[in-house]
Amino acid sequence: MRKAMVLFACLFAGSVWASDQAGEHGYANEDKDAEGEDVAGYILHHVSDSNEYEFEIPLSNNHIPIHLPRIFIPLHEGACAPVADPHGGHGEVYPGLGAGCVDLSITKHTVMMWLAALILIGSLLIWSNRDKTKLVPRGTAANLFEMLVLFVRDELAIKNIGKEEGPRYVPYLLTAFFFILFMNLLGLFPWMASATGNIAVTCGLALCTFFVTQVAGIRAAGVGGYLKHLTGGVAPWLWPIMIPVEFLGLFTKPFALTIRLFANMLAGHIVIFFLLGLIFMLRNPAVALVSVPFAFGIYLLELFVAFVQAYVFTMLSALFIGMSVAMGHHHDDHGHAEGGASHDHGKAHHI
Amino acid sequence: MFLPSVLAASSFVEVRPGLIFWTIVTFVLVMLVLRAKAWGPILSLVEEREKQISNAIESAKRERAEAEKLLADQKTAIAEARREAAEMMRRNTAEMEKFRDELMAKSRKEAEELKLSARREIDDQKAKAIAEVRAMAVDLAMDVASKLINERMDDSKHRQLAEQFVQGLPGATSATATRRSA
Repeated sequence: MRKAMVLFACLFAGSVWASDQAGEHGYANEDKDAEGEDVAGYILHHVSDSNEYEFEIPLSNNHIPIHLPRIFIPLHEGACAPVADPHGGHGEVYPGLGAGCVDLSITKHTVMMWLAALILIGSLLIWSNRDKTKLVPRGTAANLFEMLVLFVRDELAIKNIGKEEGPRYVPYLLTAFFFILFMNLLGLFPWMASATGNIAVTCGLALCTFFVTQVAGIRAAGVGGYLKHLTGGVAPWLWPIMIPVEFLGLFTKPFALTIRLFANMLAGHIVIFFLLGLIFMLRNPAVALVSVPFAFGIYLLELFVAFVQAYVFTMLSALFIGMSVAMGHHHDDHGHAEGGASHDHGKAHHI
Repeated sequence: MFLPSVLAASSFVEVRPGLIFWTIVTFVLVMLVLRAKAWGPILSLVEEREKQISNAIESAKRERAEAEKLLADQKTAIAEARREAAEMMRRNTAEMEKFRDELMAKSRKEAEELKLSARREIDDQKAKAIAEVRAMAVDLAMDVASKLINERMDDSKHRQLAEQFVQGLPGATSATATRRSA
């Protein structure tokens, strides 16, 4: 979130500077504004999802658009007929989910996500140590994978969930960690994009964690214990207050996961683009002397953030699962008398 | 100012339900594939290795304790053997000593006895010889005396006289006593 703030501060400063310039040199007004709009539009175009993949040809202004298939599943007859743009834009748009049309189009970020998934599966199958006869990994990649696997298992799963229940959730946490890590890293390559910089992708991942968390809670406490936990363990006359609060609490966790990953990945990319875009906004090649090293620094930071965000997402998932698992043990111990729900909430809000 | 227009046009906060769907599908597929092909083997391998390492440590500890026990046993056995050997040596020496002492004592005793009997014999012979000499002396004296006085004397009376005379001779007491007792 801090980076998102930096980004908006940069954008704001840029716009103030542009308007100042416009005041001083009236003739440059239109031009500068157009340039700024152009760069911002370019950045936003690049970080947001689209229905085609654009392969940019280096050292030119051209790009080869690859149109991705659009898939619409109408919930009722004729629900997916394109309609005129209600915002007054030109062309036609497809109706949304509210109008009964399920849009399952393959987009740029979908492709990137699949690419990351394929690279992940491929590299794990090729480089990880899966040979029963060799207990010790050989080679850099196998060692690296094993180190990360052991890290997720020992530091995240077992520390947050516990020794008994932890190993059950290790495959989920490992998949989340590596999948997010590979999607994050993919965005650092030329012509590629970070699927995790899309709020829908992070929302999907957070929904998976949400699902696993709830299943873990029901498994640990039983359906009755799970529902009882929703009451917060207070006196029945407080239930009308407590149940909405607890119910809301269920969704704040995945929401926080969604926004954190999305904002971090998006902000890093925008900052890099903006630093490079500064060259074109200021129309001076000398700016490159400053902005390119800065962009390089941010790039390295992004490399680090790719790991950190994968770690944070996995760690929080493990923490939430651990809280759900602990639900089963706690309710037997201190029943309704004291604030039975206090054990998890304090911990969750610190992060 | 382009900021408002930028934010208005920004499509990065738009949530596409289709993408959520594809994300979940992809994630579940990736998880199933990796659990079957990667996590399972890797984790079982790691567990196997951990088990082997802990087993190796355990067995090394056990073997070391065993070796230490064996070493201690060996040491006590050696000490025992050494002690026994020393004991035997000591006993042997003592026995030899005793045997030699006994032998010496026996031979000494025998020699003593031999000496004693020899002395007794000598004494006997000496006493006998002395008695004989005395008797001869008495006879001689009597002969001499009878010849001298030329008179036949009452035998026993004169004999008594002679004996009295001989008694008066120096060193004849014991011999007379011996004779008397004999």
